[in-house]
Amino acid sequence: MDNVNINIYSVIGNSFCVEAEDGEKVFELLSKALKEKKKVVLSFGNIELLTTAFLNSAVGKLYKNFTEEELKDNLKVVEITNNGAISLKRVVETAKSFYKNPDALRESINKILEE
Amino acid sequence: MEVLQNINNNFGSYQQLISFYEKHKDDEFMNISISIRSWFAANMSSALGAVLDILSNNLNTILFSNNSEGAETILKKNLFLSYYGNYPKKYDKYHTTIPFQKLKQTDGTYFKEYIFNQLLNRDEMPHMSKAARDSIAEAIYEIFVNAQMHSQTNSIFVCGQFFPNKDKIEFTITDVGKGFKSSVNNHFNSNLTSVQAIKWAVQDRHTTKKDTPGGIGLARLSEFIKLNQGKMQIVSYDGFYEYTAEHEKSSSFIGEFPGTVVNLQFNTGDENWYSLKEEVDINDIF
Repeated sequence: MDNVNINIYSVIGNSFCVEAEDGEKVFELLSKALKEKKKVVLSFGNIELLTTAFLNSAVGKLYKNFTEEELKDNLKVVEITNNGAISLKRVVETAKSFYKNPDALRESINKILEE
Repeated sequence: MEVLQNINNNFGSYQQLISFYEKHKDDEFMNISISIRSWFAANMSSALGAVLDILSNNLNTILFSNNSEGAETILKKNLFLSYYGNYPKKYDKYHTTIPFQKLKQTDGTYFKEYIFNQLLNRDEMPHMSKAARDSIAEAIYEIFVNAQMHSQTNSIFVCGQFFPNKDKIEFTITDVGKGFKSSVNNHFNSNLTSVQAIKWAVQDRHTTKKDTPGGIGLARLSEFIKLNQGKMQIVSYDGFYEYTAEHEKSSSFIGEFPGTVVNLQFNTGDENWYSLKEEVDINDIF
């Protein structure tokens, strides 16, 4: 089977995706499927509320181990609200920049200390 | 007798709570008597509750007396005084209180019910679209999740107040964890002040999570507060930070609050602010 469906509601058993710990469970499943070169459909059906803390753990961290191209080609999201999609897009852009420039945060601290 | 005078959502009132805490933080087995005079902003029960919890954990006895009638009434209605003696709940005729609660770090599910039952789904709330309601819930949750992370095994203190005539909700979340300064300085081995650490942390994409991207919650909350014409205050140890659409203020306290207070003011009368959000193509996310 080349396609895998991951239903967030069924993974965490809750319509509120708020805690990073729950995001971690989704991350583990996504990582496993993507490592096996599967095409993954991630469903946000019945999810009422999403925090960026959850999305950072569930999806943002994928950019550490997978390239942008791999994720574009193999991961698809469905049944997400527009609010949720806005949050997810922001999490994705943040993750790309975080892993591309790992020294950026330290530099921002140094800049304050030099002021 | 300690007097807390005219406690409101401002720098001077937080300073009063800090000075009170600094004076008693090393007390053990003492009776600490408090009198609340004139006004007490109900949501500030969250910050005061956190301070009193630490003092109670040192086996001090907290006693309230000679409170102003107005303050005592509101603190009976929101159940704050029930934590400190035989104060029966007072009937909330106008149904505007959002009760004081001491939560465990693991009470995330209970917090969901609290937020919706006590705040967002109440009949007194003005008509708001689901998107608007969800945005407020998300904003509050981002702060609660931060508090959970920072509080470690300690409690989290929440309280709010609804002002239907002013179309305003004040909601406050306090944790007695390590605070912004310590989180940032431990992570980067730096020596930022509390104010510098808070101002750094509210910037987009600034996070102290190890090897995990983040830092969106507080930045997004600031943007939301700006659109909503609301207000956000952060008190963390000796740092004070306030953000509104019109201004950004910061200052340092004399002494330290034993944790972090995030105080949010939402404007419930504005129906337009959430519609400014963009549309996202879900086929172009990654």
